[in-house]
Amino acid sequence: MELTFFLANGFLDNPPDFLKFLGRFHPLVVHLPIGFLLLAVIAQLATRKIKFHPLRPFLKYLWGLGAISAALAVLFGYLLSLLGDYDANTLFWHKWSGGAVLIFSAACYFISKRRPDTSDISKWALIILATGTMIYTGHLGGNLTHGQTYLLEYAPNPVRSMAGLPPKTEPRPKVTVLDSAEVYLDLISLMMHSKCTSCHNDGKKKGDLVLTSYSNMLRGGENGEVIIPGDIEASELFRRITLPEEHDDFMPSEGKRPLTEQEVAIIEWWIASGAPSEGRVTELDSEKKIIPVVNNYLGLDKNDIFNKEIPPPDISIIDSLRNQGFIINRLMKDNYFLDANFSLSERELIDSDLILLQNLKEQLIWLDLSNSGVKDEHLEKIGQLENLVKLDLNGNDISDNGIQQLEKLTNLESLNLYQTNVSDGLLRVIPKLTRLQRVYLWKTKINDSIALRLQEENKSLKINYNREEPIDQ
Amino acid sequence: MSKYHNFMRRPLSRREMLGICKGGFGALAFTSLFGALPLSCDRPKNIIAGNDLYLGPHYLPKAKNVIFLYMDGGVSQVDSFDPKPRLTKENGEDPRKKFKVDATQFDNVGTILKSPWEFKQYGECGMPVSELFPHIATCVDDIALIRSLTSKFPEHTNANYFLHTGSGIQGRPSMGSWMTYGLGSENKNIPGYVVLDGGLIPPGGLDNFKNGFLPASYQASILKAGAEPVANITPREGIANLQEEKLRFIKKMDNSLMGKMGEVDAVESAISNYELAYKMQSSIPELSEFSKESKATKKLYGMDSDDPHTRGYAAQCLLARRLVERGVRFIELTCPNVGADRWDQHNNLKEGHEANAHAVDQPISGLLKDLKSRGMLEETLVVWTGEFGRTPFAQGTNGRDHNPSAASMWMAGAGIKGGTIFGRTDDYGYRVIENEVTVHDLHATIMHLLGINHELLTFRFGGRDIRLTDVHGHVVKNILA
Repeated sequence: MELTFFLANGFLDNPPDFLKFLGRFHPLVVHLPIGFLLLAVIAQLATRKIKFHPLRPFLKYLWGLGAISAALAVLFGYLLSLLGDYDANTLFWHKWSGGAVLIFSAACYFISKRRPDTSDISKWALIILATGTMIYTGHLGGNLTHGQTYLLEYAPNPVRSMAGLPPKTEPRPKVTVLDSAEVYLDLISLMMHSKCTSCHNDGKKKGDLVLTSYSNMLRGGENGEVIIPGDIEASELFRRITLPEEHDDFMPSEGKRPLTEQEVAIIEWWIASGAPSEGRVTELDSEKKIIPVVNNYLGLDKNDIFNKEIPPPDISIIDSLRNQGFIINRLMKDNYFLDANFSLSERELIDSDLILLQNLKEQLIWLDLSNSGVKDEHLEKIGQLENLVKLDLNGNDISDNGIQQLEKLTNLESLNLYQTNVSDGLLRVIPKLTRLQRVYLWKTKINDSIALRLQEENKSLKINYNREEPIDQ
Repeated sequence: MSKYHNFMRRPLSRREMLGICKGGFGALAFTSLFGALPLSCDRPKNIIAGNDLYLGPHYLPKAKNVIFLYMDGGVSQVDSFDPKPRLTKENGEDPRKKFKVDATQFDNVGTILKSPWEFKQYGECGMPVSELFPHIATCVDDIALIRSLTSKFPEHTNANYFLHTGSGIQGRPSMGSWMTYGLGSENKNIPGYVVLDGGLIPPGGLDNFKNGFLPASYQASILKAGAEPVANITPREGIANLQEEKLRFIKKMDNSLMGKMGEVDAVESAISNYELAYKMQSSIPELSEFSKESKATKKLYGMDSDDPHTRGYAAQCLLARRLVERGVRFIELTCPNVGADRWDQHNNLKEGHEANAHAVDQPISGLLKDLKSRGMLEETLVVWTGEFGRTPFAQGTNGRDHNPSAASMWMAGAGIKGGTIFGRTDDYGYRVIENEVTVHDLHATIMHLLGINHELLTFRFGGRDIRLTDVHGHVVKNILA
């Protein structure tokens, strides 16, 4: 009677929130029957020994508890199944075998209550059935939550082949050359795998969307397609990953790690270029819009010093430099880049200091030698510290001839030559410093016309060569 | 006998017992570990090789130093960096008919009060700045303005503690202490955390600058303006030798006390503070010796001003630059006493704000320009902020009361995207309506620029790993270059 009422009101299609809420308790409650029933089986086995005979009167309670908790698990599980989101075939068998667990365990309870002391074949048959169905149900439940392949993902290949699975797929080799990077396999698929597929896989299918393969990705989810090739605006996937993080629709949801700016940029470019399933990035991106990002994302930008892994420095060198008045600090936690500062030392720089510094050639990226008595002849050795990103030579008696020695510092981003004697020699050396972004030239020998030429020839360079005066009040 | 009570040996405490014993039973396993551990006052050199117990920047820093320009009392945002035409239009009307008015400190809510100053747009970015700051206005292209700073406290003392220590309650370590603890100082002869006392110590007193539970070496050293910046900096002993002998004797006594007590921060810090103080006898006079600064530089900062307060603050700003040159990590400047109170204009807004602005405006812009031309601005972060904002309606007739719901502040220099404006207040400048920046967010951002992940720099105290941002704080990425 009630059932027909519920059905007539579309109950099954749209259960009330409270029941959904209860349904979500299924994964919690489901562990109770597993525990109780296993305990009952163990106790049942134990009581075959005389030593454990005193347990016999209590066996029925264990089965009883198992049956009651199984009933709860079945009820909550049913409610959860109404929410959808799960692979229908597995769900079907999980549901029915769960029901069987309830029936068999209840039967075990009644039989242990009626005939607590006998143990005939029918009783054991029931116990085996209850245990077997329970294990099977549990396995299917695990598959539903974690995906079909979860359990055997790392199993040895013989075990996998027994289960009818293909041998473990070798992970796609890490891209080492940009030219070999496949747009879907090496970029998009990897991003989906690391950020999206824990909820959008064949087993779980949140929002009926599966992102484990190209075809499923393009098929979309319950609200239709999520990727419209060539149309970023209309692509729901792109909209969801670019919303503000606190927005309800933001993906990945529930505080999972969001996609990085680079990942978003690559996905944007991919969709805009028609979301191709295959093709190399270098061929697809003829305008070279995304290549620098991809290069950096894959850690291939060999020219970028920060992609290199630097070996730890020799501690004895650090100690002797410190004794010579250098302040040496490490610049980040997961690499061994160093900052050396001699500007606070009371004595002037000598050749042996520079020879010591050569030993830190790989690690040294910041060097401050301001007001340290650096001479032109020192610059040859300084010019060999090729990893330098920031170099401060202000307040030293150095000139055009000396600074030509710096031409190999192609990692240099900032060069401070304030209060030195440099002049038009800059025009020769600065174009060679391809990564240079900022140069400080106040109180040098350059004049407006040299500064202007320098700016003309190095458009993106920030040149500071004077100081603003205070405004008149 | 009772007179010497303090020096009598007391029984070992449980902690001391453990401290002494760890050398025994744990020695074998822990020799390597304790070799690198922070002895409570001698901060570990940032460990060059090996990742255990790493103390230093977590990622490549943008800034090496911070100059914190503290605008004590709370600058009025609607009169400085957050123009609100609606205040002019509705000047004199009852604010309670326009919006919900929170309880204020003095509960003397007057009418809506328009700003007495005009705003003009400056720089390539076109940032509006009021007539109060004509000099700072010339630097807007290097400045990232935040118009949405909020505080949790509407009263000076707690708001000061909150801004300085991340907690409204007295006793937590100051941000400068955290940052020097996290990064260390570069200069052995000057403390890593220096407060330049311009004349006004903020309400809440020196607890704004204390080390809290961090080792005592990380508290701020306060330098006063004038001939003797630190008390007793010139040796009183007639013969140089005498002082050295005295110090050697004190150190010997301290060391023997430490032999009995184990590693006690108070004693260790005392030893290292004596050593530092000895070195400061020569480093401090050299620091405040401006004779090598050119006339043009002094003029740039405003040291030739007719206003003695401008001259005073200019000297402080110049000193700040010289401290940065000497590798000092964190420098805070407090406000000069201009005679019209701090920026806390509960009445006479016009006179008070003008006097305060005149004192700091040119020196600050001079500092920014000087740092920039020397290439120092790329590794120095300059922060300008008060503890909260002020109300858009009058207190009485011509003042403004405290307003923790909105304030304007700015940052310039290392890693900052100049010419940015972030955050928005409502039409009256009363409350933040977009992109709120809390004090925790500000701390997280400053630390981020120094290469510190604010969630990772912790210190175990009272059984908890405590951080400056407690359990809050997000880096304000929009203002980063």
